Amino acid sequence: MVKKKLMMLVSLMLVLSVFLAACGKDKEKVEGVEKEKPGSEKIEEVEKTEEPSFPVDVSNKDAVLEDGELVYGLVSSDPFKGTLSPVFYQDAYDAELLRFFAEDLLAVDGDYLITNDGAATYDISDENKTITIKIKDGVKWHDGEPVKASDLLYSYEIMGHPDYTGMRFDFPTTNIKGMTAYHQGKADTISGITISDDDKTIAIAFETASPSILSGVWTAPTPRHYLGDVTKGEITMEELESSDKIRTKPIGFGPYKVVKVVSGESVLYERFDDYWGGKPNLKSVVLKVVNSASVLEALKKGEVDIAKFPTDQYLNAKDADQFELLGRLGLSYTYIGFNLGEWDKKNKINIMDSKAKLADKRVRQAMWHAMDNEVVGKEMYHGLRIPATTLITPAISFRDDENKGRSYDPEKAKALLDEAGFVDVNGDGIREDAEGKEFVLNFLTMSGGEVAEPLAKWYMQNWEEIGLKVVLLDGRLHELQAFYDMLETGRPDIDIFQGAWKTGSDPDPSGIHGRESVSNFSHYTSEKNDELLAAGVSEQAFDVDYRKDIYNQWQAMMVEDVSLAPTLYRYDLEAVSKRVVNYSIDPGSPNYAPWMWGVTK
Amino acid sequence: MLKFILRRTLIMIPQLFLLSLIVFVLAKAMPGDAITGAFAGDPNATEERKEELREKFGLNDPWYEQYGRWIGNAVQGDFGSSYMYKQPVTTLLAGKVGNTVLLALFTLIITYIIAIPLGIVAGRWTDTWADKLIVTYNYFSFATPLFVFSLLMLFLFSFILGWFPIGGSVDIKIEEGTWDYIVSKMEHLFLPVMSGALLATFGTIQYLRNDIIDTKLKDFVKTARAKGVPERKVYTKHILRNSLLPIAAFLGYEIAGLIGGSIFIESIFSYPGLGQLFLTSIGARDFTVVTALVMILGTATIIGTMLSDIILSIVDPRIRVE
Repeated sequence: MVKKKLMMLVSLMLVLSVFLAACGKDKEKVEGVEKEKPGSEKIEEVEKTEEPSFPVDVSNKDAVLEDGELVYGLVSSDPFKGTLSPVFYQDAYDAELLRFFAEDLLAVDGDYLITNDGAATYDISDENKTITIKIKDGVKWHDGEPVKASDLLYSYEIMGHPDYTGMRFDFPTTNIKGMTAYHQGKADTISGITISDDDKTIAIAFETASPSILSGVWTAPTPRHYLGDVTKGEITMEELESSDKIRTKPIGFGPYKVVKVVSGESVLYERFDDYWGGKPNLKSVVLKVVNSASVLEALKKGEVDIAKFPTDQYLNAKDADQFELLGRLGLSYTYIGFNLGEWDKKNKINIMDSKAKLADKRVRQAMWHAMDNEVVGKEMYHGLRIPATTLITPAISFRDDENKGRSYDPEKAKALLDEAGFVDVNGDGIREDAEGKEFVLNFLTMSGGEVAEPLAKWYMQNWEEIGLKVVLLDGRLHELQAFYDMLETGRPDIDIFQGAWKTGSDPDPSGIHGRESVSNFSHYTSEKNDELLAAGVSEQAFDVDYRKDIYNQWQAMMVEDVSLAPTLYRYDLEAVSKRVVNYSIDPGSPNYAPWMWGVTK
Repeated sequence: MLKFILRRTLIMIPQLFLLSLIVFVLAKAMPGDAITGAFAGDPNATEERKEELREKFGLNDPWYEQYGRWIGNAVQGDFGSSYMYKQPVTTLLAGKVGNTVLLALFTLIITYIIAIPLGIVAGRWTDTWADKLIVTYNYFSFATPLFVFSLLMLFLFSFILGWFPIGGSVDIKIEEGTWDYIVSKMEHLFLPVMSGALLATFGTIQYLRNDIIDTKLKDFVKTARAKGVPERKVYTKHILRNSLLPIAAFLGYEIAGLIGGSIFIESIFSYPGLGQLFLTSIGARDFTVVTALVMILGTATIIGTMLSDIILSIVDPRIRVE
């Protein structure tokens, strides 16, 4: 019996030591972060590391293998939803699935502006209020039927339908003439849309002229003959949404057709021989869900050829032989926002409060200058994020490259605070506000990912160094839903908040910064802002140079007024096997289109 | 016996109602709703559109009205529609429940196949090297996180040795209904099942071992030995029958636990089942799915415990005395 006890003790200690080892590791991690305090040595060391640069095209230039097969990894910890219809899908994963078999009629260039290179051509007339889209000959659905103008009309009829509950009913679709009446059920048809007699041309008239249609006009048709017509009562909206015809047997007019869907885990595509653009290079494509924890091994093993690569595993992947990493600055930016007022729920406008805690813009400017984003980008994100300069992302050419934003400069920050009258009155090392009262800011930030907490702490230290006291709201990080809920319902004790925006391809920033936008969480308003935002989407702004000038002015104004301080731009990475050819992640490249992709062995 | 089952079933009804009420109220108390969930971080969504949708789904009504509507439909088998998946919840769950049940069932069977013999060996031959080995294994399996262990299994058997597929529930290229299809399903099930089962054994082994050790010293065993019953029979007839009692009692809980507790396994092996669905729908505030799932898990637990009680009352006549 004694012997047995001893054995138990040994086992127990073994188990304990495993636990303790695990604890010890965690502790080290925390300490490691704390060590990253801006000690001068550390920064010098950082500056020596090279900033990574990534190609956007694959290096493989060999001849395409005829009838090859490609495996596309959908990196996700969840099964995909599989709502395979452009008007009904909700999330970015389903968008990846759609890309192989569904297309927009109009192609876009590197700036995401529509071109005439796709399955249709366009023409803008009537003082820029009407766009006429003409479908090219030989564009066919996967069942052999021609793609008709009335199929595109059908997309509009679904999105505007009173029963439609999806996410795609937004600007500029809502700006179509007669759309409001149709949406409210007062009209059976959308008066602003006309179809030609041969059913090849569609003219869409908008209420107001806006250059947003150049990047935002909806051109993905929906196969009316295949799905059934909701406007004629052949099928109800609910039946259509959950129909097998958009879940397991969808059709499109893209280069590959869906052969089989295993719900939530994989899709098998096959070449569509009648594709309007030419003969797709691959005979078949298999798309399967891969967990982000195993995607690196799957790529190394050749189980997966292409995958959007999780950036937190970059260090383990950058020297792999089996695949290469393509990278491009994406359409999103991270920001620190300042609460400057409130959302007036009744009148649906933002009201800026001149008595807000952070009403003095010099304090906001100082807080931007105090953040050392260079170190954040290099140390916490291994160079995959770079300091942001303005509120338009570098993925679109409307960002003003000349505008350098506010770089890391703690001395300037201190000077700005002194100037604003925020000085340390009682000698505790923390500045008081202009009236000499205690000044503490509540910081709302999102949880998620290993970096979230150290990052928040890092910024709080940065601000402490210039004498500002910042504490986490409720003493902790908040989960995504709660984060947006608090900002939307307007908790008054939030002073600053950290979030990220993915902006979409239209440079118009009014969705985030407009006086009437509920997403304007800073509640920043100004007459000049209204003017510039309006000018940016005016008819005159169809002239790209004019529009660029307007947005340059706007970016400069926001660097001055700082309602949101942009902190980081981010690289999106894709891992691509070395046997893949004709593959690019640059939307301006012809190899961006899936039908060009091929394999060489 | 019939009366017992009937009574237990009747008690289930108020239990389920109470559960549904609690779940519904708690779900509503979470910040945000399906609309904020879907549109979070989407600057193009206007306030009007969001309000319009909330109105359409009745999300602005007081909770008791929403609950009344929901429970009214639920008793008729209609759990509403998922906003995230754009599908009736029943259809959505029906597509996944098969995979989860398959996974849970095989995990349970394998767990018992491993655990019961090991428990018996460890209990009967206490203090031998075999017992020590089993106890050590038991501590390891108790201490190893499922997440880490599954990844380890995946790397070892799929990536390094290449014996099993890296994920999914079936090879998409294989024709449905053929023999190959079944084989492919089994191949895909093997690693997830083994990962779950090898770690799930500790409870059963521990209970069985302790109980055998206890029972060995009981008077009736001594009596049996004194009567000259052969040692083999002492174990199979007298000790085992008693020691399996707690195992039988836990069967119901095990089933419920397996259906709800496979989140990590499903995620790592990209195996589409209910566990994953549960987590994503909470994140997206897809309440219709969350409430339906909790109801399913709750029902499974309640039925599971009832099953345990019934099994117990069959093997242990003392329980039936009321």
